[in-house]
Amino acid sequence: MRDTTGSTAVPTEVERPETAEVPAPELPWLVIVWNDPINLMTYVTYVFQKLFGYSRAKAHKLMLDVHYKGRAVVSSGPKERAELDVARLHQHGLWATMEHSG
Amino acid sequence: MSFRRRIRPSRGGGYELRLATEERDLLAALPLQLISLLDDVGDELPGDLPDALRRLLPPAYTTDPDAEQAYVSLTRKDLVEHHRESLETMSATAKATRLDEEQLMAWLAALNDLRLVLGSMLGVTEEEADPPADNMHQAEWIAYHYLGGLQSELIDILEGELPDPVPGADDQVPDDHWGEPPGDLRWDGTPQPGDR
Repeated sequence: MRDTTGSTAVPTEVERPETAEVPAPELPWLVIVWNDPINLMTYVTYVFQKLFGYSRAKAHKLMLDVHYKGRAVVSSGPKERAELDVARLHQHGLWATMEHSG
Repeated sequence: MSFRRRIRPSRGGGYELRLATEERDLLAALPLQLISLLDDVGDELPGDLPDALRRLLPPAYTTDPDAEQAYVSLTRKDLVEHHRESLETMSATAKATRLDEEQLMAWLAALNDLRLVLGSMLGVTEEEADPPADNMHQAEWIAYHYLGGLQSELIDILEGELPDPVPGADDQVPDDHWGEPPGDLRWDGTPQPGDR
């Protein structure tokens, strides 16, 4: 579960099975990051890139949504996957929760 | 006051630390204070934690106490251990002249943990990130801002060393799940910051 080995850590996305060719599965859980006044904006952008393999532009956009709108959905998927993402965000000090999208 | 970088990639690999004795003393001592707070943490729900620790051990489920208790049982031990290891590493290497990559990542995590706890304690908000006029907790405010400056240097370095984005990752979630919140407010009803 530890993910602090540095920039050589492979984003988990890589390890997930390729699902592009099968019909889109139910994605019932949303992972949400909430605004907080303490985490640095640059840090939040960095963590989104590191954990999810997002481009800098995408990570920056999500960070701005967190900052200005108060929350953003940063990943979604089955419950187990969402719980893992929340736990990884918690390890990085971000204020993340999950909720059912239905 | 100097604007030279305090942490920089070293030619021989790893990262060179150029810190004053006072900085090193602070970075060795502060983590130990937080570790002592973590020693008493068990499987309690986030709402039952001491205020200072709530931000380090936040809830995953806000409306389902049973699911939250299951999440805590599953993850709390690892999460506390993760915080503790990072803090221990920074404290133990605060006097070093060079860090390896794993140690630098521990510093990033430990600096963030300390800022979260100090910032919560000081009541930092979007609007109020400076010491109040009565100058209470002046040392803590100085430490809070100092740690943020040092963390920014680390982020600059580490962001430059990130691997390439994962192809297709950007399309995994929509850019804007909920669209615009109503009435220039955030989704939680608080005003949006005006510096957009």
